[in-house]
Amino acid sequence: MSDEGWRLVRVGKLSYEFEPCPPGAYRYRVDFVGHLPAGRQKDYRSLLRELGYRVMSKNLNLNWSAGHVRFRPWAKGAGKLSASPGSFNRELLIVEKENDGAPFELHTAPEDLREYYRYQRNMYATTALLGLAFALVLFYQEAIAGGTAFAVLAVLCGLPVVWCRKRMGETQ
Amino acid sequence: MTEVTFFVLLAVHAPRHGYAVMQFVEERTAGRLRLGAGSLYGAISALVEKGWAAALEEQDGRKKEYLVTNLGRQVAQAELERLHGLVSTAEQIMEEAEHEEDIQVLRRFPGVAGALAEQLV
Repeated sequence: MSDEGWRLVRVGKLSYEFEPCPPGAYRYRVDFVGHLPAGRQKDYRSLLRELGYRVMSKNLNLNWSAGHVRFRPWAKGAGKLSASPGSFNRELLIVEKENDGAPFELHTAPEDLREYYRYQRNMYATTALLGLAFALVLFYQEAIAGGTAFAVLAVLCGLPVVWCRKRMGETQ
Repeated sequence: MTEVTFFVLLAVHAPRHGYAVMQFVEERTAGRLRLGAGSLYGAISALVEKGWAAALEEQDGRKKEYLVTNLGRQVAQAELERLHGLVSTAEQIMEEAEHEEDIQVLRRFPGVAGALAEQLV
């Protein structure tokens, strides 16, 4: 969109708002921060703003809630409890910078990249394993349709696990 | 300790905010190490978690700065000594290997030893 002359102005749960800009004036990166506790996410956003970037938080899943608390065993420290308001529904950051021709990557150090992919791998692996567990229980109860649905979910969540492991291997 | 961690630890031996740390590392490595914002945040957070660096009290309008702690200085010093030892050992090994290679050449080509001896005389 930026290459075509559209700048991202605002994001909602299901919407993205753009305004015209010179083609290629801005560059974007999407960062996964779902594993970080709310306080650390806030610190990270502050650092990004200090570096001159514009930052927008975005939900990973589609969920309308308030006062919601979710347990994330794959997250880091206090991030294992994700609440709304807080870190819930703010798992992604869309980071914008003015295009000055310099490289724009958020994660460059190998050890940082490994950790970055490790949390995403664990997130998808948790969902895949839960899906598999539900599938097995439902198949056992001869609920074939339900079991199949969860099995498909498990496989779909397994694909990003494979991809993350591949990326982790490339950083070695 | 990784290279990035070590350089970030060195960078905060003087009070520096995030962007200054990024520039410091890039300048001191002649552009070889360019830290992305995510990697920078990860490295600084790791130092603070381990107690090797601390965030200075924020003053209005000023960027958050970080400074090495006494523990961080000790760790940096220990790492420097480890690297010195590594370089010294590596130089020794390579010198021995070169010397061993010379001996192997002389053993395989005895005529060379004689020719060299005549030249020295």
